[in-house]
Amino acid sequence: MLKSYLNKSKIHPAPLAVFRILYGSLMLIALIRFWVNGWIHTLYIEPEFHFKYYGFSWVTDFGNYTYLLYVICIIASFGIILGYRYRLSIFLFFILFTYTELIDKTTYLNHYYFTSCIAFLLCFLPAAHYFSLDVLKKKKTIEAIPSWMVDSIKLFLCIVYFYAGIAKINSDWLIEAQPLSIWLTSKYDIPLIGSLLKYKWIHFTASWSGMLYDVFIPFFLLYPKTRKIAFLFVLLFHIMTKIFFPSIGMFPYIMILGATIFFDVKWHKNILRHLHDLGLKLSQKLNFLESKLTPKKAIGLFEPKKYILPVFLIFFFIQLLLPFRYFAYPGELFWNEQGYRFSWRVMLMEKKGYTTFKIKDSISQKTFYVDNTDFLTPFQERQMSFQPDFILEYAHYLADNFENQGHENIQVFSDSFVALNGRPSQRFIDPSTDLSREIESFKHKKWVLPLEDEIYGL
Amino acid sequence: MKKLIYFKLVILSLIFQRCSGDLDTIEIIEKIDQSNVSDNISQSTNEFDRSSMLSFWADSIILPSMISFEEELNVFNENVSNFTANPNTNNLALLREQWLIIYKNWQYVEMFDLGIAEEIYFKNRMNIFPANVQRIERNINNLEFNLDEPANFAAQGFTALDYLLFGIGQEDDAILTKYSNTSFNYGEYLIQVTAKMQELTVLVKAQWEGNYRDSFVQSTDNTATSSINMMLNDFVYYFEKGYRANKFGIPAGVFSGGPLPNTIEAYHGKKYSKILSLEATSAIENFFNGVAYNDPETMGLSIKDYLDFVESSSAERLSERINEKLQGGRIKINELNTSFSKQIEDNNTLMLLTYDAIQSTVVLFKVDMLQKLNVSVDYADADGD
Repeated sequence: MLKSYLNKSKIHPAPLAVFRILYGSLMLIALIRFWVNGWIHTLYIEPEFHFKYYGFSWVTDFGNYTYLLYVICIIASFGIILGYRYRLSIFLFFILFTYTELIDKTTYLNHYYFTSCIAFLLCFLPAAHYFSLDVLKKKKTIEAIPSWMVDSIKLFLCIVYFYAGIAKINSDWLIEAQPLSIWLTSKYDIPLIGSLLKYKWIHFTASWSGMLYDVFIPFFLLYPKTRKIAFLFVLLFHIMTKIFFPSIGMFPYIMILGATIFFDVKWHKNILRHLHDLGLKLSQKLNFLESKLTPKKAIGLFEPKKYILPVFLIFFFIQLLLPFRYFAYPGELFWNEQGYRFSWRVMLMEKKGYTTFKIKDSISQKTFYVDNTDFLTPFQERQMSFQPDFILEYAHYLADNFENQGHENIQVFSDSFVALNGRPSQRFIDPSTDLSREIESFKHKKWVLPLEDEIYGL
Repeated sequence: MKKLIYFKLVILSLIFQRCSGDLDTIEIIEKIDQSNVSDNISQSTNEFDRSSMLSFWADSIILPSMISFEEELNVFNENVSNFTANPNTNNLALLREQWLIIYKNWQYVEMFDLGIAEEIYFKNRMNIFPANVQRIERNINNLEFNLDEPANFAAQGFTALDYLLFGIGQEDDAILTKYSNTSFNYGEYLIQVTAKMQELTVLVKAQWEGNYRDSFVQSTDNTATSSINMMLNDFVYYFEKGYRANKFGIPAGVFSGGPLPNTIEAYHGKKYSKILSLEATSAIENFFNGVAYNDPETMGLSIKDYLDFVESSSAERLSERINEKLQGGRIKINELNTSFSKQIEDNNTLMLLTYDAIQSTVVLFKVDMLQKLNVSVDYADADGD
């Protein structure tokens, strides 16, 4: 059955074309927004030190030339939207966007990771073999593609929702209504509903419905009879999150528009027909010949390259397993954050830290404390203060920095306190560990003191 | 359309069910909590009047402290006139006495670095220490100086007064000699420094008497620029920098690898550093707990109440832990020598222990308190998820 699904099941290419146009448009807006907010400068160029992903320490910013990466990404977004030199466009977009994300892990967001993953999939999908400038140029189009090519996008969206949902099945989220209790209570200034947000029952309702939504929405979107109502929930849910948490940026719009991939082909054809009519009107104004806009030859079924299916299988295999890698580590995931990223864990933690570093001369025993603001931006300092891998990387940076200044026999100790989801703060890093001697790896970080509490669940 | 109506009904009934289910538990929590509330401030667990907290801060703490400070500063100015006209032992004693009064008053003013105070660098110009003695002497020598220049921030305010009243000679006679000879310009510089302090203070006080007060009280939102957030940021920043680091950490050598006894507050007056830091401790405790400036019996809504409101059901209240830690810091300060520089030279360990005690309060403020109130101290402009 699987074999016949992979080999025989066909679908019209319209959904993929619509998805391509929506994705490209959202990326275009997101990139311009990022630029206009000045974040290229404040997040990538301004910091004198970047926190690196393991194995990607070679990725650097290019000073003011970093803007060039964004210029290319913006041009590539146009290419994606119009389907013009699509392969090149999406490939450039994927590589360069991912590159900018790798510059500094301080800026890690699940939805940037999501964006990169989608771009990766789109590199292999025939999203511009229909309704695109490429098609007009080549004067041939397709009428069908293998179903699994569209379904792979759906599967990916389902994984994101489902994994985000099961990550919420834990005692903090469901029994304590944390961190939503903290976050919602502080949103008292939202018009109309603000005064309700201090009530416990609101926090519990939001927590439970958020979990149920994430776990079940993929199935309701997949099942044709519930699809419409499910989409209403998608709208409601993501608009609510945007109201409560404006700082989540473009993510709600990406998820709302992304969910249209689940719609019936008729809907996508309809959208494209409207776009086509719009294009015709425009071309008449610009004195284009109508015939130019209508491709001549339909070549029928798109035959994917043989390597694509295995690549996708590997991709999804990794996607399904990666979020569970935390089982390989002892201790509390939320506390140690070993295996936390790249796992669709969103909005699960209110974590605040206060971490300072003591530089010690191991021979003279002289010590002094570092002023973090000398080296880090406020954003970097905040992220550093509660994430062990950041703390270690920064400790090494400090050791190198003070060695270069002529200090000798340097040891680096940290004085670190962290509070998680409303618990009282407790010491985070073993203050007797010389962090300059510890090496970053995927092994368990023994110098992180255990959380003096238990969180149950997934 | 039918489907949509059905959909709305489902949602409504869902919401309704949850409401009725949880209301009972809320009432129970409320009852438990009301029996716990020892304060006489009218507060139900479900309401917190942020605007009333802000107006208490503005009307009963900030403005009264500014008014009192300005009044005493005017008295000091008269003392300066008398002293520069007749530089004798008696006038010097009176001047120093009044200097201590305004310096103690200042400890209640420094943390409110809001609005115009921030714009004109009020706290940096009033009390940045150690004094830049070379700069002061140069200014006195050539009388060509502009106190509005940042380079002169450490050559004015309390730190300059400290040097001018205690530091320009070993003995009082030597000091008086310098003032007696007007060609040395010491009197002139003293007058100008005092005048500048008055000028700046009037500006800041006027702000709190004007429209700023009203907009401050009305800004109850939770945004980067709203009053509560700015005030909490200032308070925590003052505690960490102005109080912990400047008064204790830097002199004890926490940030430098070796003690720096000459960086204490009121270095030239020697024996006043402890008095001033105890005064600052009181100012911090009073602000945190909502004690009116003019009357220790009058209490109003405070950070403590706000924390208790947010924490409603917590067994071990954060506000109590903070007060215990503040008290712990005070006990440590009381054990110190009246002169911190003497303390640092004799036994710096006690100074470091005091620093540690204060540091533990910083953690409660910056981590626990700001998490509970969901206030950010570092408004990083970036997306989250």
